[in-house]
Amino acid sequence: DLPRTGEALRAFHTAIRSSPGSSRSQAVKEQAQGTMLKVLTSFKSSEIEQAVNSLDRNGVDLLMKYIYKGFEKPSENSSAILLQWHEKALAVGGLGSIIRVLTARKTV
Amino acid sequence: MAYHSFLLEPISCHAWNKDRTQIALCPNNHEVHIYRKDGAKWSKVHELKEHNGQVTGIDWAPESNRLVTCGTDRNAYVWTLKGSVWKPTLVILRINRAARCVKWSPKENKFAVGSGSRLISICYFEQENDWWVCKHIKKPIRSTVLSLDWHPNNVLLAAGSCDFKCRIFSAYIKEVEERPSPTPWGSKMPFGELMFESSSSCGWVHSICFSASGSRVAWVSHDSTLCLADAGKKMAVASLCTETLPLLAVTFITENSLVAAGHDCCPMLFTYEESQGSLSFGGKLDVPKQSSQRGLTARERFQNLDKKASSDTANASLDTLHKNSISQISVLTGGKDKCSQFCTTGMDGGMSIWDVKVRNPRGPLRLG
Repeated sequence: DLPRTGEALRAFHTAIRSSPGSSRSQAVKEQAQGTMLKVLTSFKSSEIEQAVNSLDRNGVDLLMKYIYKGFEKPSENSSAILLQWHEKALAVGGLGSIIRVLTARKTV
Repeated sequence: MAYHSFLLEPISCHAWNKDRTQIALCPNNHEVHIYRKDGAKWSKVHELKEHNGQVTGIDWAPESNRLVTCGTDRNAYVWTLKGSVWKPTLVILRINRAARCVKWSPKENKFAVGSGSRLISICYFEQENDWWVCKHIKKPIRSTVLSLDWHPNNVLLAAGSCDFKCRIFSAYIKEVEERPSPTPWGSKMPFGELMFESSSSCGWVHSICFSASGSRVAWVSHDSTLCLADAGKKMAVASLCTETLPLLAVTFITENSLVAAGHDCCPMLFTYEESQGSLSFGGKLDVPKQSSQRGLTARERFQNLDKKASSDTANASLDTLHKNSISQISVLTGGKDKCSQFCTTGMDGGMSIWDVKVRNPRGPLRLG
């Protein structure tokens, strides 16, 4: 679906930017989760680090929330690629970004 | 820096006397023990036994030399030294949950107690009846008050709570003081008035601190954030999402710098950039010991692989001075505007004293 690096990165930023935020609609949230999971699993392992480094602090926190959401509903091979995203996001966001996944009042 | 291991259990809370020769601490039980410095050693000189529940807060008034303690038994005691014995006076707080924190006001004619009853008890001495009475600040607190700090004007009180908010109230008591003059937080300060309330962060507010001038207040919460409200900028709030585990204690050491510590077991420096209204991380202040790297035998490698799914040589023990979470920080010398020494106590039962060095007048602070 997303053969070239540039497209995957663009799709990634779009997904981050258009995250529903304070939407309460479960349907909207689930659609965003699905989109984000598709984007994350479409990345090659070698491209993940660059994608994470292109985010600001809030973006890293948001990415971490989606990673854990992805862990909650695993699909074929999704956890393997999510673990790689987790490792890179942790290196940038630190344990604090995981803490904020646990304490967040508004989930993604 | 100097580290002293007092106990094998957590130090619940501590307070220093005026000249820093004595420290009062709760050794994770119903008592308060006072230690005096004897050269390089610490000797226990008093045991204060009156509480029926864990002592959760201690404060030592520097001028009047009185102690105030509060505990999970829903009581507070004011202790006065009579000769060589500390005599307690019970203060009825009128709360039905544990008391969690206590602070003398700057003029030492009042003290505030935060509790699980979702209110703050402001206590003052009533001359005619010769006992301590208290007034309650309730609205709009919705959960346990974990931390308190007084503004230098003796009237405003900052409170951090488990309802995720930092608030500043007026604790003006007409019986013991004159009407306060206007401050950047507001001009009208009737008792209980809410002068400032932060918008929700997402974590319990563990610790809160006014700057020396009182025009700034900073707090740390359980979502690993540090926030600062600046009354000089219309109470604008700057916040920093840290990369660390949650911080449990924070204090100003200059008008623009803060030291905070918590579950990462080491103090950290933060600076406030006033012109941009932003907070930034200034580094960890602990000095890790250089652990000698020795090679692993093939057998150890396989064992590591089997037990930990990793064959790297990093050891599992902490490199920090404190071996468990730091739960309290106190300024020892220099005050909150020119702190040159501060103290940390933690769940490892240890107490550490840290020196703050200014490299050059305009340069960054560093620690020794």
